[in-house]
Amino acid sequence: MEQDDLEKYGLDMHCTMILEEYRANYESFVKIKEIILDCIRQALKQNGMFVTAVEGRVKEEKSLAGKLELKGHKYRTLSDITDIVGTRVITFYTDDVDKIAAIAENNFDIDWENSVDKRKMHTLDSFGYMSLHYICRVPKKLYHDPAHPEINEFRWELQLRTTLQHMWANMNHDCGYKGDVEIPVEHLRNMNRLAGVLELADDEFSRIRIAVNEYRRQVQALVASGNFDEVSLDVDTFRSYLNLKPFDKLNNHIAAINQAEIHQDTLMPYLRMFKYLGFKTLGDIEKLQKESSDDAYQLAKLEIGGTDLDIISSTVSVQDLCIVHILKNGGGEDGLASFFDELNGPSSYNRTRAQRLVEKTARMPFMKKQ
Amino acid sequence: MNVTINQEENKFNVVLEGRLDTTNADQFQKDIEPLMTGEKPDITLDCTAMEYTSSQGLRMFLMLQKSVNSRGGSMVMTNMNPQVKEVFDITGFSNIIKII
Repeated sequence: MEQDDLEKYGLDMHCTMILEEYRANYESFVKIKEIILDCIRQALKQNGMFVTAVEGRVKEEKSLAGKLELKGHKYRTLSDITDIVGTRVITFYTDDVDKIAAIAENNFDIDWENSVDKRKMHTLDSFGYMSLHYICRVPKKLYHDPAHPEINEFRWELQLRTTLQHMWANMNHDCGYKGDVEIPVEHLRNMNRLAGVLELADDEFSRIRIAVNEYRRQVQALVASGNFDEVSLDVDTFRSYLNLKPFDKLNNHIAAINQAEIHQDTLMPYLRMFKYLGFKTLGDIEKLQKESSDDAYQLAKLEIGGTDLDIISSTVSVQDLCIVHILKNGGGEDGLASFFDELNGPSSYNRTRAQRLVEKTARMPFMKKQ
Repeated sequence: MNVTINQEENKFNVVLEGRLDTTNADQFQKDIEPLMTGEKPDITLDCTAMEYTSSQGLRMFLMLQKSVNSRGGSMVMTNMNPQVKEVFDITGFSNIIKII
């Protein structure tokens, strides 16, 4: 490291020595940043948490020199500067900030004296910067290299905030602290008013998430209890219903016709088809199964029974149930063709397939009852 | 089963001719190897002259479809004769493979 090179910053001897120390330890700071980000990402994965961003940086030399120029007298050594490594987790929801704070507390040594929860610094009638700042060290249980004890000694900063808080902070920084011009009070007040609106939006997002999760829990409980008539048909309820593997019995029965292998495919596209057929609740699907499984089996038997096909898709049971439902309800060729158009997209095949099915099923018992 | 592959960058137009069953499934698997590599393949299987497919053939198409999905590509089968299409319909395979 050339002393001459550092002189370009025009700092006094004390600050220049701090900059030299920074250069000597630069690789350790990079290592600290990597350890922190790896640890946070792994913890988020283990806890099944999704966030907007996990980011980090090592302060650039020029930026540190600027800081030292302004308030170098505050720092005795490089160790007194706690933001050389800065990391940040940006969450979707306000409650996730506290969850990630708990992760940080479990994984890092927190310097409580210097950590600040800016969210709690506002008075009843003030709005503005909202973020949780932890000053931390890497504990030896997380990383220890006797050749580099400084990795456990240097402190660093972890900021936790929501996406909206992050947006506000960036815009506020851009509008409020740029250049030499003093910003009129009116504009600063507008920024703070916006902080209030965003705080409200953050709270509302969290409230909606809690309500949706509660709804999902209730639905799962209803599905598990078998009260299908009370459960309206939607993505969540249908997914929970499929977890009970309601069509396995019919699929196994159909597969037994030719000792066929069952290829497991998603049945979620059939949610749309059940809605298309006018089904409103899971109870409607249960009723269909109860009333038409035997007929769907007979249809499958008629179709694959005379072949040597020994592989079927797990969608066969639902497909045949829907076909039987349409035919039983008088939908005929047109009803089937429209159903296939809706299911697989419009195609001339669909009309041919509908015609073939109507002809094939004409003599089946369930059609004779019509 | 004859397989002719015409490739233009990531677009593959594949002409299938004849019967696909257990007797030629291994050869078919070798023939379609060029379709099993590369990112985002856009594959059209022209079935105009495909006369028949057995379960083994369905397994081959399923394997190809899965490989294409895992590489972010797309696959479509076209111009199937009614007998071949029926095999896909009655096994539920027309729900998982795009046929136009």
